[in-house]
Amino acid sequence: SLVIRGEKDEQAVLCSKDKTYDMKIADTSNMLLFIPGCKTPEELNADAASCNIIHSQIAGFSNNYWELRRCRPKLKKLRKILMEDPYEGPDSQKDQTLTFSKYTTDLLSLIQASEEEILHQLQVIDACKIEGYWRILDFDYEMKLLNHVTQLIDSESWPFSKVPLRVCLEELRCLEPREMIQHILLSYGRKYVDDGEVYFEMREDKICRAIAQMLLQNAVKFNLSEFEEVWQQSVPEGMTTRLDQLKGLALVDKSSRPETIFLLKVEDLPENNQERFNSLFGIREKWTEVDITPYIQDLCAEKQTVGALLTKYARSSMLNGVKVYNSRRPIS
Amino acid sequence: SGGAGALAQWVLVELQGEVEPRQSGGLAGSLLGDLHYTCEGIPVLIVGHHILYGKVVQLEKPFAVLVKQGGAPQPSPGEPHGHYAVTALIKTKLLFKTRPKPIITHVPRKV
Repeated sequence: SLVIRGEKDEQAVLCSKDKTYDMKIADTSNMLLFIPGCKTPEELNADAASCNIIHSQIAGFSNNYWELRRCRPKLKKLRKILMEDPYEGPDSQKDQTLTFSKYTTDLLSLIQASEEEILHQLQVIDACKIEGYWRILDFDYEMKLLNHVTQLIDSESWPFSKVPLRVCLEELRCLEPREMIQHILLSYGRKYVDDGEVYFEMREDKICRAIAQMLLQNAVKFNLSEFEEVWQQSVPEGMTTRLDQLKGLALVDKSSRPETIFLLKVEDLPENNQERFNSLFGIREKWTEVDITPYIQDLCAEKQTVGALLTKYARSSMLNGVKVYNSRRPIS
Repeated sequence: SGGAGALAQWVLVELQGEVEPRQSGGLAGSLLGDLHYTCEGIPVLIVGHHILYGKVVQLEKPFAVLVKQGGAPQPSPGEPHGHYAVTALIKTKLLFKTRPKPIITHVPRKV
């Protein structure tokens, strides 16, 4: 069945098992009468006997109706709710009183998205179920867990593509709960089975990206070349850092001397299209398509392209031979 | 959802402008008019002393008729606050958008 979701201050959406639709009222100046049992010409022709008068009642009439339009699920709220109480590990004092119930059913009633879209997003943001509640890990705790694993990989000289689950659990169990070790491996690796044993192929890009975030969150901005040096030194030996691993996480300012880099997370930006563009143009007046794409990609509707979004919400011009985009309206 | 065979099929009649009762008082219970079809299947609506010609349109986006049903007076968290049941589907409409023509009975010319 279908469910209409939304809180009092939100616009209603209709959700199926796996899709979300905006609900809009459509008005018409015409009068719409609905007639149960009214026959169409085809139906009357088929029923040759009826030359009698059929008395039909008009059930009702209306000037408006609800129209459904498929939309992006509204998932920003999900992250916001989970971030109110991130899991800091078993030793943390904070967990004693959970003021917020975060069972799946409760999330379903608060988030304007279908169940499948919510479950998919929980996976994307690396949420995990701890004692029945959906939780997101506190970033520092997450880095601590990751560090345990990368250090173990280094000391055991395992290849990044073949990290055995069983040994990780054995070696790290005195440091952290099993579920957490398993969770960090699932978040930062790809699980596979070889000869009956479970292994993980570690995701180099995701690990490098997380370490970059750890470095960048400590200051407003960094000297780009200094950052790149520290970053490469901070990742596990054997992994290679590349700036394109940071799409949607950080932005390089090529106009400053020296060049700088700063943290800008797409998930921190507004969910609404116009607000997102306003926010981006407030940060930087003119954007190249390459720079802005990671920050608007998630706004694309089912068959929409980034180009189409830029045409609608931005104005293009040429700057030093390069095509750039700026706001259509003045940004205060 | 639910077998389409189980749902009633209604028809929508779309009129331009408004329908007013002949006398004061509501529309409920009053007769709107007579609906006919020509041999070619063209719907003809006679309202009062006007005649309207329309056409049968298969709706690109069918309608579902929802009837609100009372929810639990004190729903627990996670439980829906109300229910709508799909009563009928509308896949066809009779669209009347031409100007109503007054019906003037034939007055024989005096010879």
